[in-house]
Amino acid sequence: MKPARFAYVAPDSIEDVLDALDRFGDEAKVLSGGQSLVPMMNFRLARPEVIVDIGRVGGLDGMSVVNGSLTVGARVIHARLEAPTGAMPDGRTEPLGGVLGSLLPEVARFVGHLPIRARGTFGGSIAHADPAAEWCILARTLDAEMVALRRGGERVIAAADFFETVFTTALEPEELLAAVHLPILGDDWRAGFCEFSRRAGDFAVVAAMTAVRLDPATGAISEARIGVGGVAGVPVRLPAAEATLVGEVPGAEVHAAAAEVAAGEVDPAGDLHGSAAYRRDLVRAMVARALAQGAGAPG
Amino acid sequence: MSWVGRSIRRVEDPTLLRGVGMFVGDIGGAAAVRFVRSPVASGLIRAVRGPAYTIEDLDADGVGNIEAVLHRPDYVRLAQPLLARERVRYVGEPVAVVVGDTAAEAEDLAEQVELDIEPLPAAVGIDGALAPGAPLVHPDESDSNVMVAGEMATPGLAEALDRAHAVVDLEIVSGRQAALPLEARGSHAVTERFGGRTTLHASIQAPHMVRTVICDLLGMPEADLRVVAPDVGGAFGQKLPLAREDAIVVWLSRRLGRPVAWIEDRSENLMASWHSREQRYRLRAGFDAEAHLESLQADVVANVGAWPCYPITWGVEPLMALAELPGPYTPEHYGVRSRGVASHTCPMSPYRGVSRPAITLALERLMDIAAPRLGLDPVEIRRRNLQSDFPHTSPTGLRHDEGTYREAMELAVRHVDLGAFRSRQHVARAAGGPQPGIGICTFSERTGYGTPAFAARAMGVTPGYENVELSMDPSGYVTVRIGASPHGQGLETALSQIVADEVGTDPGRVRVVASDTDRTPYGWGSFASRAMVLAGGATYLAAQQLATKLGSLAAEALEAAADDIVLADGRATVAGTSVGVDIAELARIAHHHTQRLPAGATPGLSVQAGYDPAGTFSNACHVAEVDVDPDTGGVSVRRFVVVEDAGRLINPMIVDGQIRGGVVQGIANALLEEIVYDEDGNILTTSLMDYLPPTVAEIPDIEILHLETLSDATVTGAKGVGEGGTIGAPAAVLNAVNDALAHLGVELNEMPATPERVRAAVRSATGTPAGPTN
Ligand SMILES: Cc1cc2nc3c(=O)[nH]c(=O)nc-3n(C[C@H](O)[C@H](O)[C@H](O)COP(=O)(O)OP(=O)(O)OC[C@H]3O[C@@H](n4cnc5c(N)ncnc54)[C@H](O)[C@@H]3O)c2cc1C
Repeated sequence: MKPARFAYVAPDSIEDVLDALDRFGDEAKVLSGGQSLVPMMNFRLARPEVIVDIGRVGGLDGMSVVNGSLTVGARVIHARLEAPTGAMPDGRTEPLGGVLGSLLPEVARFVGHLPIRARGTFGGSIAHADPAAEWCILARTLDAEMVALRRGGERVIAAADFFETVFTTALEPEELLAAVHLPILGDDWRAGFCEFSRRAGDFAVVAAMTAVRLDPATGAISEARIGVGGVAGVPVRLPAAEATLVGEVPGAEVHAAAAEVAAGEVDPAGDLHGSAAYRRDLVRAMVARALAQGAGAPG
Repeated sequence: MSWVGRSIRRVEDPTLLRGVGMFVGDIGGAAAVRFVRSPVASGLIRAVRGPAYTIEDLDADGVGNIEAVLHRPDYVRLAQPLLARERVRYVGEPVAVVVGDTAAEAEDLAEQVELDIEPLPAAVGIDGALAPGAPLVHPDESDSNVMVAGEMATPGLAEALDRAHAVVDLEIVSGRQAALPLEARGSHAVTERFGGRTTLHASIQAPHMVRTVICDLLGMPEADLRVVAPDVGGAFGQKLPLAREDAIVVWLSRRLGRPVAWIEDRSENLMASWHSREQRYRLRAGFDAEAHLESLQADVVANVGAWPCYPITWGVEPLMALAELPGPYTPEHYGVRSRGVASHTCPMSPYRGVSRPAITLALERLMDIAAPRLGLDPVEIRRRNLQSDFPHTSPTGLRHDEGTYREAMELAVRHVDLGAFRSRQHVARAAGGPQPGIGICTFSERTGYGTPAFAARAMGVTPGYENVELSMDPSGYVTVRIGASPHGQGLETALSQIVADEVGTDPGRVRVVASDTDRTPYGWGSFASRAMVLAGGATYLAAQQLATKLGSLAAEALEAAADDIVLADGRATVAGTSVGVDIAELARIAHHHTQRLPAGATPGLSVQAGYDPAGTFSNACHVAEVDVDPDTGGVSVRRFVVVEDAGRLINPMIVDGQIRGGVVQGIANALLEEIVYDEDGNILTTSLMDYLPPTVAEIPDIEILHLETLSDATVTGAKGVGEGGTIGAPAAVLNAVNDALAHLGVELNEMPATPERVRAAVRSATGTPAGPTN
């Protein structure tokens, strides 16, 4: 339960962080909130030679609203998303409204416990890529975009391409995840989130997020997104279940039908916390409940 | 006014709450010991390479084996080496040991040790170990994995079952659990350079017993080993048996001549400390037309792991099940076969409640299942069956002193307002969604038993008595030296209340010394809900002797008759007068003016007393209210009520603390905690991500009501109360889960009732996937 020997650097500029990552390559690991990396090092499941602590770097913990999306800096702690604010284009900081504004706190409270939310970071969770992590499910469901920096370059990676497999992302060893863009979701969207975990604060066994867009004229669903975690190596979208919703007016039967398709569409592996059959049952329940939640009043 | 019966604050708490307690890990100044543990469940050791000590080094130093201590014909006797010899028998078994300057370096060294082990098939689980042709855990000593087998039957059992009005068959399963003390195990040893005396600080429950066995193993006189249990962060039975590691730490400190410490980490604790509770009960019960449980037949199997535990033996779970199964009920005919079966898994030790959580689950599920078949509700069937004539002698010869089995249940049922609950439940059933359920559990808790009870087990080492040495110093303060070894229970506070009443002082003038073999009389430590009864009883008797001494001193000083002296509020007075003398003044006289002592009196104020009772039974009724989500199988406990009868309450707040902590562990056993092995014997639950103790969010307020039947079986009238919470809660919760889903036809008799198991039970009862999910 003690880590293997490692070297520790704590640069105070992004440039120096990127230099360090460039120099040490896959021998290095970025340390953000440490809430996943440090336990893994203590179990000696992670044995980085060099730790690059980004805690002293300024400019990574902002939240701002630009062009209909919320940009969340990588070092924004989970707790701040329990009452999200955003710097507006005019420079003022305001509570984040809209559908995303009410979805984020709803989701944030499921991330670990208070002490973990006070240290763990949004970017750390995305980079860590646990398939049941709430932020990863949210990023995948809403088609977030990840901003990756490297020495002398930047690229934007779509969520669909970002999560590769368990704890593995498209980030290269030399890259730093700097920020994530999340779509704000207009007032015609309804979103819901539901998870089942063994105890308060545990990672979800299965979690589901749903977002549907309603045609203002007919009240029918024009676009649907269903993302679930805990059923594969990455958070997954369920296109067949999404398709059953399009054109329908939200309601218990419609939700149940989509949930049934969702349960058939996932192909989970069983483990200690739930067999494949059980996880399917949970997908059915969580998807239906997330849809029902989202069917309430607009965010 | 007496001190006994008052909820005075615990003298233990200021230290602990300020964070200035001294645990083994706080001692420091020692090299770090790390054990290299077997990665496979079963195998032959071909070689161990690297910077480590192995069994060969222990053998070369003449270190002995842990010898078997149970003498019964149906018991396989083994000698256990301190490190694995030739074979490994469970994942986590210590094979080698390294010493580094820091814990991290010791871990680095351990990684360099190469274990060359030829893997063999493993016997895992009860069925795996009992199967014909199962791999044998101790092939040289036994041709089967059954290590202990007890059997008994009263005459006429079969006929009674044949003629029963109703026969109920039932199988219950208890998963494997770990006691999970907040502080894992650990030990720290220093050997004096001159004289060679060793001091061992260890996180343990029975320091004198540990001194004896380590000295036997290392061939050293007990006078040369001091064993101290400093602050201990929870134990629950897991720290009662000898830890092989602790003996090796003593050996290393003597061999290396440097202080060494082993601080167990959480993974080791989950993998290689003691487990408990993996049991299966098959019951057949015969009821007569009035719904009396007339005959009870049981087949019990306990998976006892790869090795016995010293000195409790691997008979502890199966033999307790055999002896105590009838519980609070009164079957005339009783028959049982109870086996302990070895497997390639971590060994078992007692854990708070030992077999009784499973015994109670079996009996209380039986009552709930039988009730509707006999046209009764769960309250009425218990009303007709609970003990009410005292003393009651069980079919296995245990004497139950007076208790309040029925009264406790009636009070609990009134308190929860069962009628109102049933109406709420009716509404919820119609509405769908989470389903409320209520579960009742009545049980007895055998506590405070001394040598006679242990002697009946035919043990080579027979625990039991407690001795107490009590002295008043010249300043009038009392020091109580006890053989029991409290570790957080609050015993120091409770004993000071007893002493204060007897000698007329206040508890602030009483100091309790415990858990240090150099400073306390030989005793058996704290386990089996015994300390209040035994150490409390001995303290009470010693305090009476001290009071007698003070009385005769006062009589001499006041020129009154000793019988007329009253000790109270720090003074000895002549009854009915204001003539008196301070007790502190008497203490001075006893030490400094011995010329004024009555003729023949010994100078000083020291007394000692022993106590060794046969035992007493506490009783309680637990009621749990739960909500069950049929779609996910999730269970939340909404309400928990305990009506407890623990005899005289010395300090009610401390008793409530014992009950609350126990109930939390019981709820954990019922719903959350389970040690899991795969079929090859790899343990899957080695961190707190996988082994799930409850958080505060999973535990409701626990409401406690008391009945107080003063025991005639103990000198203080107190009964033990350390384990009851853990014993009753699982059955109450399981009964509640079953009640919640009764309308779906669910019957679930396995704990923990994990969401997956609950969901599977719903599925198989209803034959359909989820119902409405909103
Ligand atoms: C008891 C407990 C319960 C938890 N429960 C939950 C839960 O319910 N849901 C949940 O989602 N999480 C949970 N977590 C994990 C927690 O949310 C972590 O905070 C999160 O997974 C990682 O964030 P971090 O800032 O702590 O990252 P770190 O632990 O510092 O890093 C995690 C990984 O990401 C990499 N990394 C971090 N930042 C960057 C970056 N900017 N660029 C590139 N790579 C980077 C690191 O190198 C490392 O590999 C729990 C943790 C604990 C200890």
